[in-house]
Parts: sequence; structure tokens; C-alpha cells
Amino acid sequence: MNLKTIWIETDGKRRRVELPEDTQGAIECLVDGVALSADVHTAAAGEISLIVAGRQWHCLLDGDAIVINGRRYGFAVDDPRSLRGRAGAAGGATGPRSIKAPMPGRVVRVLVNEGDEVAEHQGVVIIEAMKMQNELKSPRAGRIARVAVAVDATVDSGEVLVVVE
Amino acid sequence: MTEAMPIKKVLIANRGEIAVRVMRSCREMGLRTVAVYSDVDRGALHVSYADEAYRLGPGPATESYLRGDLILDFARRSGADAIHPGYGFLSENAAFVEACEAAGVIFIGPPASSMRALGSKTKARQAADAAQMPRVPGSVTGLANIDEALRVAREIGYPVMLKAAAGGGGKGMRAVATEAELPTAYTAAGSEAERSFGSGEVYLEKLIERPRHIEVQVMADMHGRCLYLGERECSVQRRHQKVIEEAPSAVVGEVLRRRMGEAAVRLALSASYVNAGTVEFLVDSQENFYFLEMNTRLQVEHPVTELITGLDLVQMQLRVAMGEPLGLCQEDVQLRGHAIECRIYAEDPENNFMPSPGRITRLERPSGPGVREDSGIYEGWTVPLDYDPMLSKLVCYGATRAAAIDRMLRALDEYVVGGIRTNIALFRRILLDEDFRAARLDTGYLERLLLVPSIEEEDRVPEDVVALAAALLASTGRRDEVRNGMGRTDLPESRWAATGRREGLRA
Repeated sequence: MNLKTIWIETDGKRRRVELPEDTQGAIECLVDGVALSADVHTAAAGEISLIVAGRQWHCLLDGDAIVINGRRYGFAVDDPRSLRGRAGAAGGATGPRSIKAPMPGRVVRVLVNEGDEVAEHQGVVIIEAMKMQNELKSPRAGRIARVAVAVDATVDSGEVLVVVE
Repeated sequence: MTEAMPIKKVLIANRGEIAVRVMRSCREMGLRTVAVYSDVDRGALHVSYADEAYRLGPGPATESYLRGDLILDFARRSGADAIHPGYGFLSENAAFVEACEAAGVIFIGPPASSMRALGSKTKARQAADAAQMPRVPGSVTGLANIDEALRVAREIGYPVMLKAAAGGGGKGMRAVATEAELPTAYTAAGSEAERSFGSGEVYLEKLIERPRHIEVQVMADMHGRCLYLGERECSVQRRHQKVIEEAPSAVVGEVLRRRMGEAAVRLALSASYVNAGTVEFLVDSQENFYFLEMNTRLQVEHPVTELITGLDLVQMQLRVAMGEPLGLCQEDVQLRGHAIECRIYAEDPENNFMPSPGRITRLERPSGPGVREDSGIYEGWTVPLDYDPMLSKLVCYGATRAAAIDRMLRALDEYVVGGIRTNIALFRRILLDEDFRAARLDTGYLERLLLVPSIEEEDRVPEDVVALAAALLASTGRRDEVRNGMGRTDLPESRWAATGRREGLRA
């Protein structure tokens, strides 16, 4: 039998899951090398009923998590090919660091200018969403290399607001 | 023979779940409904539920839902006889009530005069004294300066609480433990009140230690009759915002209920109050109750009262506004069973309650026996960032408090809101907490609970099942979502990236 391997990061652990090509109905798979019999029924996109040893689990995909019995379990698919690039990209205490919007919102205040020296944890931008204001802080001490937003701008989650170097 | 109903069409000057809630009662009574909306709410549920709908303006409330002039204009153009304000926005704005009166449109709520008499907290405290209601010791007028503040605080004794006269939602509020802290707190509370409410007036109250927040629902008709419809316990709060409400309160017996109810009715009648209102009290461990304030509108948490009284408060509001006398007397109001409400918010309790607007990619709603969901959302809708983060109210009924709690836990397990984060997990934690289950509550309860790290629940799904389910959904999800044109083709990013994304946030 031909199995495909998927690496899943969940709860701080990397798990090796090996699945057959066809994942509908009764399947035989391996989780960290241990054989597991399961029955899979796909109800809709991102929604399955999974039966393992008589126990039934209703599982929903929601972005970076699956929801089972109302509980969220965050996970990530690990692509081994991209592992090499990561160590550098994650950044240390020295490289330039971006401060990104943690949520969609509106910029109500920009507390720094390009060229300013900032301390670690110093507030740089205030974003408002749903009547709540949140002050975003610099992850490290340094100089403001770039201010990418202006007051009243609408930003998306993950958008770069300020770069510290 | 019934005379012709003076209201045939109602404009709902609100949005979200409460607009839908009001329209439901209108429909049951055969009344036509008119929605208003801002640009970001064109696709909102309350618009698609209405018979007619009119655009107010851009997203910000000041350019849309607070535009009383435009709203009255649309009432005239659509031929609406009455306006229901819901809660928030224009619901406690006496000037808007006067504008409605001048335009000959019925405002479904109290007259402007009662609203003015009870709306400001300092005025309400004077009215409470006149109605011989116990209230928290402190000033009944705004403080002129810091010297007066120091004098009043010395009289009533520390700790004290500074509060904004026009306040609400915890803004302009400061607890002060010693005299040395008062000057700074006085200035801070005053400027915060000025910024939030346009009035810097603050007053002082004695701080009641570990109080419960218990409120009484009243309903008055135009013919001088006013009833109390039991109490609600709203002690589970975070930053002075209610999180869970229930009815009845586990600590209110028949005698206390009557005493609080009669005091609330006395206050309402003294201000010639008409329609639905709520009188809030602090209750200490010796069952002393102190008047806090009156909310001159329908409350968010009104459904718990509806479930234990069997009454439809919105329908009663509409009938009162038509001039009908209340169709029941105090003895007819019987409380039965127990109801609990959870306010479902678009915020992430695992990440400092960060707001989480965005597109709802999946929605599984709870249902079944004893479950009511008053909701303003649907799958595929984008929750706008311009308003309050409340998505819906989940309300459960049971024969006893314990049964209602267990039912709520079951309903929460059924509730899945995907694409955005919600506070659903927080409720599970509270409802499983021993102190909550024993009703050992006060307004500081939740803040204390949140200081304790959450303990892992026992019934976690086995790790290999989680990994297998994740692998199955990840390997099929991508293909299916592309095929179904759902747009979300990205797989979850790795923890590395997610951590990096959050790093800018750490305090």
C-alpha cells in the first residue's frame, strides 16, 4: 500500500501521519509509526466524521485549528522543504523586526517617527477595532527604520505597521 | 371589538442581534418593519430580515446609527409610526426622544422627561432619595472640585469609588483606597469622562466590598401601573462589562425580591416612567441592597427574564407604546425555572481579549431543548470592526440552575464560529468552575478567575486522533475548498510564523 506522509505540528509536538491516497471510508494509517484503523466520512468541505475504535469524533477545519467537540486544537502542516529557510527568517535580537497588525482595524495614533530610537516594549502604534484600542509595542530596542501606516488608515491582520532595526 | 392599532410600521434604529430580536416580535404582531443600516452593514442580518431598509451613511456610528435626524427622516418617508431604539446608540438620548415627540413619531421607550430625571446618575440618585430607596452612601451632585471630593470621601470613609455622572460601561470609574490617591484619580476620572461622554462631571460613592450586581426589570404602562418582572444576577463581569447573566439570582428569596421589586417600582413611578426599564442594585453579603442606577431602555440581557416569566418584553413594549394597559397584575408574574445567558463576543480570550473582526467562514449553531440563540450573524458574513464585538447571545433554560448550567455547557459544545476567534471557551471555563456552580459570585469574581492559569480539561481528544484529523482535513481541505470556490486555500501557517506574527504584541 502506498502511503503519503504529512507532518503535523500540534501542542508543541511534531507528529508523523501516514495516510493512504484515498481517505474516504475505512482506512489504515500510521501515526508516529503506530498503525491505526479509522473510518472517515466527509460531510462537507473541512468537515469530517472520524470513527476510531468505536469512538466518533466530529471534526471541523477552522483556519489554523481543528475543532472537535467544541474544543479548538491549533495545528500547522510542516513542510520539510521550507524548514531550512526558517531559522534565518525567524530573526534574532539583532535583525530588523516588523511590527504587524494583530487584527484588522483602524490606526488611531502613530507614536513614533522614522529615525526615532525606541526602547524594548515601547508603544509604537495604536489600533482600534470594535471600540477597543490596542497599543502595539516594539519587540526590541532600536531605531525606527520605517513607518508604513498613517493615522486613519485601515489595516488588515498581518499588515506591517512599523519596522525596527 | 378591538380599536385600530395606532402602530402599523416600526423603524428599528439599531443593528445586529437586537434589531433582529425586535423585528421578530413586530412580525408576530403583524407590524411592518423598517431597517436602517450603515455602509458596512448592507449585508447584515437585520437588513435582510426587514420589510424595508434605508441607508444611513458610512460605518462610524456618528455618521450612521447616531444620526437621529436621518433616522427621523426615514421614519417619515417610510410612513413608520414608531421607532424602537434597541439598546446603545440613541436609546437613552432624551434629545432624540423629544425630536420624535415633535415629529409625531412614537418613541418606544420612556418619555424624555423620565429619561432626563433618571438618565444621569447624579439625578437618579436624587430621585432615589426622594423615593426612599437605599443607595450607596456618597454625593448626589457632581463634585465641584478636588476639595469637595476630599471632604465627601472623608465623610463616607475609604475605600471610595469615583464615577462619571453620564457614565456607563466602566468608563470614568476609579476605585480609590486612600486619600493620597484621590487627587490623581479625580483628575483622571474627570478627563476620561469628558472624553467618553462629553461631560467631566464625577461623583463619589462608598466602595461596597465584593458586591453582587443584581437588577430588577420593570414595565410601566401609560395608566400609572408598573410591575416588577423579577431580577437578574449580572455579577460575572470583566472590566465592568457583563459577561454572563442569569435569572433568578441564586441569593434572592421571595422577601428580598419583593423589597427590591417594590423599591424599583417606587422609583419608576416617581419619575412617571413608562415602558421597559431596569433598576440596578449592588447587594452585599448581608442582603443589603443599594440603588446603583436605572437603565431607561430594554437591556441586552432581557431574554433571561423572558424565559422565566414566559413574557415577551418587546411585545409588551410595543403594546405599552400603543397606549394599552398592562394585561396582567403583579400576582400574575410568576417565575419558573432558571435561565442563563452568555454574551458571545468576537474576541480572543487566549490573547488578552483582542477583538477579532473578520469573515465568518463556518457557523454551527446550537439548538435543541431549552436553547435560544439571539444572533446577528450568519456564515459568510464579515463582522465589521466599527461596532461592539457582540455576535450573539446564547440563552439556556432549565428547571433548576444546575440544569440550566449543564444545558449551556452542552449548547456551547455545539456552537462553532469559524474564521474569527470568539470567547466561547471562556464560558466553558466559568460554567465548570466550582465557585460559579455554587453561585459564590461578586463583581470581582471573573477578574479573579482569569488571574489563575486555565487548567487543561480532562476530556481532551487523544493526541493521535487530533493529529490524524488534522492530517485528513489538511490533505483534503485544500482540494475541496478550491473546488467549492470558498476562497480560503491557504493551509494553516506553522507555529514559527504564528509566533513571529504575535511578537510585536507582547507587553
